[in-house]
Amino acid sequence: MTQHATLDSHAHRELRVRVDAGADLGDAVMATLTVPNEFRNVQGHFPILFRREMGQGDFTALAMFGFEAGENLFLDGDRWDARYRPLSLAIQPFLIGRPASGDGPGQVHIDLGHPRIAADGEGVRLFDVDGVATPYLDDIAGRLGDLDEGYRASGAFFDALCDFELLEPFSLEVTLDDGSVHSLVGFHIIDEAKLQALDADALGRLHAGGHLMPIFMALASLSQLSALVARKNCRLASG
Amino acid sequence: MNDMIERVVIVGGGTAGWLAASLIASSRRAKAAPLSITLVEAPDVPIVGVGEGTWPTIRQTLATIGLDEGDFLAACDGAFKQASRFDGWLDGSAGDSYLHPFTTPPAVPTGELLAAWQTSAPDQPFAAAMSAQAAVCNLHLAPRQRAMPDYQGATNYAYHFATEKFGALLARHAKQSPLITHILDHVTGVRHADNGDIAALTTRSGREIAGDLFIDCSGFKGLLIGDALDVEWIDRSEHAFNDRAIASQVPVPPGSPIASQTIATAHEAGWIWDIGLPSRRGIGCVYSSRFMDAERAETILRDYIARELPGAAPETKAFGVPFKHISFRTGHRARFWERNCISIGLAAGFIEPLEASAIVLIELSLRALTDNFPADRAAMDIHAGRFNKLFRYRWDRIVEFLKLHYVLSRREEPYWRAHRDPQHIPPHLTEMLALWKNQPPSAWDFPYVDEIFSAQSHQYILYGMGFPAPAGWPATDRATAALAEMRQRARTLAAGLPTNRIYLDALAADRAAAEPERVE
Repeated sequence: MTQHATLDSHAHRELRVRVDAGADLGDAVMATLTVPNEFRNVQGHFPILFRREMGQGDFTALAMFGFEAGENLFLDGDRWDARYRPLSLAIQPFLIGRPASGDGPGQVHIDLGHPRIAADGEGVRLFDVDGVATPYLDDIAGRLGDLDEGYRASGAFFDALCDFELLEPFSLEVTLDDGSVHSLVGFHIIDEAKLQALDADALGRLHAGGHLMPIFMALASLSQLSALVARKNCRLASG
Repeated sequence: MNDMIERVVIVGGGTAGWLAASLIASSRRAKAAPLSITLVEAPDVPIVGVGEGTWPTIRQTLATIGLDEGDFLAACDGAFKQASRFDGWLDGSAGDSYLHPFTTPPAVPTGELLAAWQTSAPDQPFAAAMSAQAAVCNLHLAPRQRAMPDYQGATNYAYHFATEKFGALLARHAKQSPLITHILDHVTGVRHADNGDIAALTTRSGREIAGDLFIDCSGFKGLLIGDALDVEWIDRSEHAFNDRAIASQVPVPPGSPIASQTIATAHEAGWIWDIGLPSRRGIGCVYSSRFMDAERAETILRDYIARELPGAAPETKAFGVPFKHISFRTGHRARFWERNCISIGLAAGFIEPLEASAIVLIELSLRALTDNFPADRAAMDIHAGRFNKLFRYRWDRIVEFLKLHYVLSRREEPYWRAHRDPQHIPPHLTEMLALWKNQPPSAWDFPYVDEIFSAQSHQYILYGMGFPAPAGWPATDRATAALAEMRQRARTLAAGLPTNRIYLDALAADRAAAEPERVE
């Protein structure tokens, strides 16, 4: 059960967080949220697909780890089998909190009900014995800041994609080595043909808004789909 | 006659004997040459148990013989050792303490590091400036997380363990090897070959155990190297004064912190060792009988225990912890490998356990043997010549390194003043100290492979005890940056490592849950 609290160097002086990987730590997920300012790091490892959540108008971007719910092909027992962990996964069990008044500087919150909260004295400290944030917490705060900034910029990014009608529905049907068929449905990707057809003025506006780079990064990430299929086949082969 | 070396006979079932059997067996596993290893152990002979502290080489040794690290720690009441700490060695004043950690200073020329240290953090102890391990030790942290692969750590480390349990584990493990035969019998003598070699051992039950290569691990007695081959003993007490020890073991309460280092506390005529294990602390008083009597030494030991473990103190005996008095002679054989016999462990030599040199010497002897295993009798004399030269060198370095801890002291008791008397300082050490006034200890001073105490170890002692850093080097940017990086690394490690207690209790709980039927 989630149990959010504002991080506090007194109350959480001795708290430790587990930074290893594992299904029991919440890593058995088929995808995680990603944000445009992170696409550059994500595209080298994971396909980026867009999805409009049911009943919501807004799109979100997802870094894909598998083909079905709970399947993470980058989780190998207790080992994270990639050189990158997307921000939204890396910051767990932390989140950004904001004062009730609405806007204002974000605060670091922590979900004390998260399985990454270490109960046994192992894991990484958030504060040293003097109450100073540890390098780990400094690093997390940096990532939270990046994620928050990216999340705030996401609205403008998807608005631009919609304005230029650059999103097209996408589904993928894959026949694996053992003959089984897996599919990804209900996603969107960048419409490459429409992107190619944009004139200089449109490209200039996308570029000015900082959207052009993430658009190309998202396109590039699709080459990771075949790698994902290969991982799935590999896992089938090893039983 | 077949001259090939095919039958190894080991005398003695202590740490040295079982390590010898295991390491020789491991080194032969992949090879086709036939080899039999026979270990003869006298029944009912108490094992001396050389110190409970080790050197980081022990990790490779345990991995080589195929022991799982967690199994080893759980079976031997083991804990991590990351350093030695010396309290009261400089002048005995409050706060007189320095650390000799196992992790070396950054890989930047030492002169530059010393200058950067003096410029940017002159108040910080040398070890704390040079190694993140100092912070780890201060916080009683383990050198690794449990998820790391066996025998790998965030810092360099060795172990403390219960010697009697370690011996039993080695014996259990070695007996599984098809190459090793274990015989319980008293060795009564040897039968010599015509050329003077040892041809066979004779035993109390009338057995004759023939061999090509004999390894004397019989302890202080030196049954083969001394009694049978009469190799001279070289006394080193002129430089190393201590010849007595009183050992005790004090149980500790569950959940109490476990120290990350051996603590050696100086007293008026020697020092006290303090080694923390999960269930107990091994505490003992080393002293020189020329300067102190047994009664005074017991008082000093009792006072220390009372200070450190108040609950356990005055009635130490009521805890079933009698004081065990040990008398020892400091020295070593003139030759360690004589004819077809190698002496390893106490049979080869002994010096006070100030820097845990006993087990590492066993390991290095066995590494030298297994890497250079004589194929036949003719090769043996060549190997023996090299081995003797190398280990004579090592003993000289050990004697001098331990002596360094004493000559830099400013304590005024007669014992300490005698240590600083030039006639009691090895001439080579005097020369080195003269050089080190102008240049820090370097690989020029310690040029061998596998030096037990490297230039860096000497730096930790010298500058830990306030020896002036030589002038003339600049505090370069790279040295200053390396020290800043070290401070950051200390913070990272302090955040990420569990305490020794948490680590070892969790390990014990895991083992108990996994194998409820196995009871030690």
